[in-house]
This record gives sequence, structure tokens and C-alpha cells, in this order.
Amino acid sequence: MGPAENIENKIKKLRYETNAEAHRKILDNVIQAIDKREEQKTGTTAPDIWRTIMKNPIIKLAVAAAIIILVYAGISQISGNGANVYAGIVEQLANARTMTYSILTRTPVESMPTLRLEMAFKEPGHIRTTTADGYINIIDWTQNRGISIWPPERQYIDFESINTEHDPAKNSFLVVEELRTLPSRADEVLGEKEIDGRVLQGFRVAKNDMVNTVWIDPQTDQLVRVEIKYTNAPGMNTIMTDFQFDVELDDSLFSLTPPADYTRMEVQADASTLTEQDLIEYLRMWSTWTKDTTFPPTFNPLELPKITAEMIKQGKFGEGDTSEQDHSSEAMGMYRGIMFVTQLPAESNWRYAGENVQFGDAAAPVFWYKPAGSRTYRVIYGDLTVKDVAPENLPE
Amino acid sequence: MFEDKILLWKFKCGSRDAFRLIYDKYAGDLLNLAANLLADKNQAEDVVQDVFISFVESIEKFRLTGSLKGYLATCIANRSRDYMRKKKREQIAAENRSGRTTPGVKNPLQSAINSEELLKLSHALTELPYEQRETLVLHLHGGMRFRQIAGMQNVSIKTVQSRYRYGLEKLRSALNGEVKKWDQRKILKIR
Repeated sequence: MGPAENIENKIKKLRYETNAEAHRKILDNVIQAIDKREEQKTGTTAPDIWRTIMKNPIIKLAVAAAIIILVYAGISQISGNGANVYAGIVEQLANARTMTYSILTRTPVESMPTLRLEMAFKEPGHIRTTTADGYINIIDWTQNRGISIWPPERQYIDFESINTEHDPAKNSFLVVEELRTLPSRADEVLGEKEIDGRVLQGFRVAKNDMVNTVWIDPQTDQLVRVEIKYTNAPGMNTIMTDFQFDVELDDSLFSLTPPADYTRMEVQADASTLTEQDLIEYLRMWSTWTKDTTFPPTFNPLELPKITAEMIKQGKFGEGDTSEQDHSSEAMGMYRGIMFVTQLPAESNWRYAGENVQFGDAAAPVFWYKPAGSRTYRVIYGDLTVKDVAPENLPE
Repeated sequence: MFEDKILLWKFKCGSRDAFRLIYDKYAGDLLNLAANLLADKNQAEDVVQDVFISFVESIEKFRLTGSLKGYLATCIANRSRDYMRKKKREQIAAENRSGRTTPGVKNPLQSAINSEELLKLSHALTELPYEQRETLVLHLHGGMRFRQIAGMQNVSIKTVQSRYRYGLEKLRSALNGEVKKWDQRKILKIR
């Protein structure tokens, strides 16, 4: 430790490591407390206080009055000024048991078309997204399981993902979570603006790598629109509209049971075992399917089935002569390749540029990303060789 | 936060494993935080245990609005402060009874520190007024912002910033003083 070292750093070095025995002792005692709590819960029946209160007419009136006062106080506060309107919306988002809204995501990448989704969320971690053409994704984040349903092909994919990187940029649940945990105070009040024929009041708040602009109808105090810009992805933006809170959403909407008569491809990927080689294999596989040996046109997992269907119609794929077993192994390979990319953190700055690139083109970069802790990027070229490239030498 | 939310949900559904994961994830840092606040390893372990027990006892009503680590760190800070107040009261009562001040007790944590300079720093840290030590430790070990600390200590951000600055200055001068004394001793030896 040099004399010039900052005193703050020295304080941070003051770490008192506790031995495993102490940890075990604490953990045992806490587990005992949990056991005791469980015993008390099962051993006694909690009195139904609410029922008791509501049976007594005098208490009932008092409770009703208290509720009216609370509601009135809440309304007065919300209508008091703009900041409270915003705080009310934040509270509504945080407390919503269910939520539906529409999402429009635009990216500056030509090959990645504007994506429209209908989103439904239900506590504690159920998500259902539906694209305009009916492609459905249902994810139960409490089980880390999901199902993708593709009605035009009457197919579905069960998926279970272990050790998935929880990156808000890639994870739809986290996007909902980010929205539900907006700071209760806006960084900036934008004033009023007319959007789609309605005069709305705007609030800007930055959170993590996202800048959120929240638009509220001051007449109704309802959330109308949220616009998100991503500091890590300049040019990309998301607009959320048509918000509805606490509407009844049937559990069947979030069922992981596939529709009858649909064919199944089950895949599983442990994200901790995914490597760059999985991506390379996926790219190689795809290039053998296309007649012109080109790579996939996009890496957006939601767009890919749609684009694939379009390519099939256009006759861009070869006839194919694979067995059932090969088909299953290819599905797994495809899934692992896509998963490798989707689990990359935002800091990896990954970029896919494989559209229209043919297999064997050693000069054309197809994909690049920065591995964690690395100063250089890994660039995969059209001949599927990989090179380490300094950031300043990356393709434009 | 997502992972914590899922773990909490599983724990609320009765999963002990989920609780163990939460414990394994945060107990080390929380013990370190408590130890730095209290300068007493045994007491730090008790505080961490109490915090986790309160946490599991109130889990049904608990709703995560920020980070779980931040919440638990705040609980550690509050309990540590309560403990220090109690200890101070007991110390004053003991001094009143005996009519003399309690001699400085050797910090039991310091035996766990190998570096001599860190040992001195640890000692100097325990000599700081508790508010200053708490500010330094919560900011540097708990990762808390001055605004959060101000809310917790019920003072303005400026006060917190002042406590932080004064604390650092005192530590710096305490360490420099030690270095000067050492240098003088060295010079005498050489002569």
C-alpha cells in the first residue's frame, strides 16, 4: 500500500472476513426462526379481523369513513400539482397486479424492422407478448420457463433457461420491472405537449441506461405514453401506449401448456455453458440451409420466425434432407446460438452484420462483441474464423 | 434486482433454498458492514443474525421497492446505531458508578487485519465520533449515497457531506501522525 493511496481506498480495504463456522451458526439460527414461524402459522388460525370489523355496524361505519378520508386525501394530493401526478403514476405502476400495453421498438439497424408487440404482465413474473402477426411468447420468470407459439406453422417451442443473464436490454420481464420501479421523483418536468390530439403533461426521468419520458393526461391523471431511449444503444427507442392496469387477465393467457395439435420442439440451454462456438455452429448451420449460403438476416429472436417464414415462401431455403434426429439437434443448435447472443450483457456492445453475407467471405465481418473484461473485440468473419480486434479497428 | 425478486417470491412460497441463496449472496458484505460500524466482530454477527431473523419474520408483508442489498444494509445500519446508543448509555452508567472513565478496550477485530497500516486505520476509525464513522462506512462499504445516509440519519445532505469530510480528515491526520512518530523513532535508531 503506497503512501499516495487514497484514504477512501484504504478504508474499503478494511474487510473483516468471518469464518464459515460463524456463517453456519447465524444461518442455523435464522432457519430455526423460519421453522418456528412456520409452526406458528400452521398451529394457530389467524382471526379474520376484517370479518369481525365488518360484522360490527359501528366499526363498519368508522372504517368506511376512514376509507373515504384516505381516498379523498389521495385524490387531493394527486390533483395538487404535476409532481404528485407523476408520483401517483409511479405508485400505480409499482402496485399493479396486472398490466397491459402496446410496445413499438425502433432501431437504427436497417435489418431489424420496427417491432410491434402487445404486452401483458401479471404478478409475480408472468409475461405474454404477441406480435402483430400472432407470434406468441409466454414466459414464467418465477420458473425460468417459457413457451413460444407460432400459430401459422402450428408449432411451439418449450424452453427452460438456466443461469440466464438478467440483462434489462434483453429481458422483457426486466423491462417491465424497470418501468414498475421508476424513481418517485422525475428529474425534469417537461410541461404540456399535444400528442395524437391529446394535451399531455411530460416528465423525464433517467434510470440505469434508459431515459424515460412519461406522458400523463392531466385531465384524467392516467398514464398515456412512455418513451424510452437507451444510452447504450443510440438511435433505438421504445414507445409504450394503451396502458391498462389491474384488468382481469385469465391465468390461461400465461399458461405454458401448448395448444392441442401443435408440434413440439423442446430445447434447453444452460447459459453458463454457452460459448462463442455455439454461435459459430449456428451460423454455419444456417448457411447450409440457405440456397445462396447466406447467414441469417437478423438476430432478433422475435422477428426471426416471421422472416424465416417469409424466406420459406420466397424459396430461399434448400430442400433439406434431414432425419428427425438431425432436426432436433439442429433446433437445439439454433437455440444455443441465439441464446449465446441474447445472454450477452449490454456492455458487450454486440453487433450482427451477417445479412446478405455469404459463407466463406473471409473479409466480411458477421458478428462482433466484447467479452467481459476484454479490451479487444471478438470478430467472427464470413468464413467463420475469429480474430481479436482493437475497438478502433472495428468495422463501421 | 430481478434475481432477488424471484428469490423472495420463492422464499415467500416456502423455499428454504431461496433463503439460503439470499443469505449466501449478502451475509458476507453485511457482516463486513456491521463489523466496520461496530468494531466488534461478535456483536456484528449478532446484528446480522437479528436483521435476518426480523427479515424472515416479516417476509409476508415485505415488498421489495429498491435493492434488497440496500434494504438489508439499511437494517444493519439502524440496528448498529441502536446498539451503539445502548452501549454508550451503559458505558456512561458504568463510569458514573465507578467515578472514572472506562479504559479503551482493544478492538477484537483488529486481530483479523494483517497490514500494520490498515490496523492503524481501523483503530483510528473506531476513535471517530459514531456519526462520522457511520457515514464513512455506509458510503464506502455499504455503497450508499449521501442522500440515502442523510435520510437515515435524519439530517441534511450537507451535514452528511461534512461528516464524511471531517471523518476523512481526522483519519488522514491520525495516520500521518503515526507515520511522523515512526519516522522520528527510525531517525533516532539510525543515529
